[in-house]
Amino acid sequence: MAVRTIDVREKVMAKNDELAEEVRARFGDAQVAALNLVSSPGSGKTTLLERTLDDLGHEIRIATVTGDVQTQNDADRLARHTSQLVQAVVTNGACHLDARQVLTSLEAVDLDATDLLFIENVGNLVCPASWDLGESAKVVVFSVTEGEDKPLKYPKMFRMADAVVINKIDLLPYVPFDMALAEKYLREVNPAITILRTSALTGEGMETWYGYLLERMASARAR
Amino acid sequence: MHEFSIALEICRMAESRAPAGRLGELVRVGVEVGDDAGVERESLAFCLETLLAQPPFGQARPVIRHSAGDALYLEYLEFDDGRPDD
Repeated sequence: MAVRTIDVREKVMAKNDELAEEVRARFGDAQVAALNLVSSPGSGKTTLLERTLDDLGHEIRIATVTGDVQTQNDADRLARHTSQLVQAVVTNGACHLDARQVLTSLEAVDLDATDLLFIENVGNLVCPASWDLGESAKVVVFSVTEGEDKPLKYPKMFRMADAVVINKIDLLPYVPFDMALAEKYLREVNPAITILRTSALTGEGMETWYGYLLERMASARAR
Repeated sequence: MHEFSIALEICRMAESRAPAGRLGELVRVGVEVGDDAGVERESLAFCLETLLAQPPFGQARPVIRHSAGDALYLEYLEFDDGRPDD
């Protein structure tokens, strides 16, 4: 048979990246700091956000987009802690959010009345690393119950992150988690990463987390 | 399992670039996957084989080339133009 070849050489994620740039431009125009929270399942993202909404929600206008494979349980939980919009995206099996879903969910968000927007991604440390959502920064939430070698096992996610929140530090007396080793691995993978330590349950370290959020908001306003 | 969504996107790109009515003549889909792309090559190949065996495709096979870095490209499409070899 005679074969005819069409050279394409186009990024597979080109369409998603194009939509992500549109999302990023909207956040930029509205001077909104948008953080994409990623983690494995059960790291405490929703509890961290619940506490953040309780503590900062009266002074900062915080909108949230949650992504879950099934159910909108996380969105329902968060809605009990804020009068601002909590937008649920149910991915119906997909292991990550994509830029199209975020763009669609923004139709319901008044960005001009928003200072900070959290995207709570689907719990997964592999797939969300490949999908740009147009966020200002990725933040990995990493719990002390997971083992300190997570940064070595999932380097792409940690390499792409601006910050890591080592969460559930109230459990440190009960789990064999070596904090120094975890931080060493984090630095090996991403020397510039900001490392925060929190317990959303006891409140330890939350002030540092809030300081980080205020820095991101100041950075968004300065653009 | 984001390889399936990536495979769907590759199929969408192939459909948009194929000459009208020629998808059934597509025989190979060339994809470059970098070692750091966060994509499991065997899984992507399996997803593509499954999707490319169904309409509007029919006989296409994925050809996955791996490289260093985080590249993830649709490289080329090969069509059988129906004529005998020259």
